[in-house]
Amino acid sequence: MKMLVDFQWKLGMAVSSDSCRSLKYPYVAVLLKVADHSGQVKNKSFEMTIPQFQNFYRQFKEIAAVIETV
Amino acid sequence: MAGELEGSKALSGLLSGLAQEAFHGHQGITEELLRSQLYPEVSLEEFRPFLAKMRGILKSIASADMDFNQLEAFLTAQTKKQGGITSDQAAVISKFWKSHKTKIRESLMNQSRWDSGLRGLSWRVDGKSQSRHSPQIHTPVAIMELEIGKSGQRAGSRERESQADSLLSAVPHGGLDPMTLRSGPELKSRVRGLTD
Repeated sequence: MKMLVDFQWKLGMAVSSDSCRSLKYPYVAVLLKVADHSGQVKNKSFEMTIPQFQNFYRQFKEIAAVIETV
Repeated sequence: MAGELEGSKALSGLLSGLAQEAFHGHQGITEELLRSQLYPEVSLEEFRPFLAKMRGILKSIASADMDFNQLEAFLTAQTKKQGGITSDQAAVISKFWKSHKTKIRESLMNQSRWDSGLRGLSWRVDGKSQSRHSPQIHTPVAIMELEIGKSGQRAGSRERESQADSLLSAVPHGGLDPMTLRSGPELKSRVRGLTD
């Protein structure tokens, strides 16, 4: 079981690509830093579409609400 | 022969096939398949340039993510060109783009995502009464499992599960407050501003 030690985010807008000149695609990129029991920190990064991020955020809010009641 | 190509009945099917191949990543759609299914009376030599023309038009429209004004102007110009399209064909293409635009755009967005995506998220809150590392009694902990893997892959597919990283992470109650809860609403409001 690893510990979450840092959470970094970036809100980006993909403007253009080789397959689509007019992309206009907003996304959220997240960098998580997790430490194992020895203290070694690893980076995990991933990207989310806006709807995915909204679900992600909703889950976090739910966790925050539940953890208050424990 | 030319009459067959000028007709618009089979064009709708052709555009679907082209979209499957060009945007949605469908592997098996060959020239010969499209010709034999949709334009069986037409020779391959004649069909090839016609197919290339339609593919080019569809790709131009998708690449520019044309709105309906741009689309009309573009298609009108195509009808006026030497070796262009007929107005019937323009109407079919217009109708096709209007009904498939969203799905094609989604596929194009997926094609431009090269980083790992978040394929699944589940969580649990534990009320810990004792911990080897922490002398505190009754420290609630949120445990999250994130399935991080290459985008475009469907979660639950056995062959691809091994490529996903299952990230089990414990987030202590105190840890959530300073970083995540402060970041979360700020990020959310920026996202809202961008997508409204």
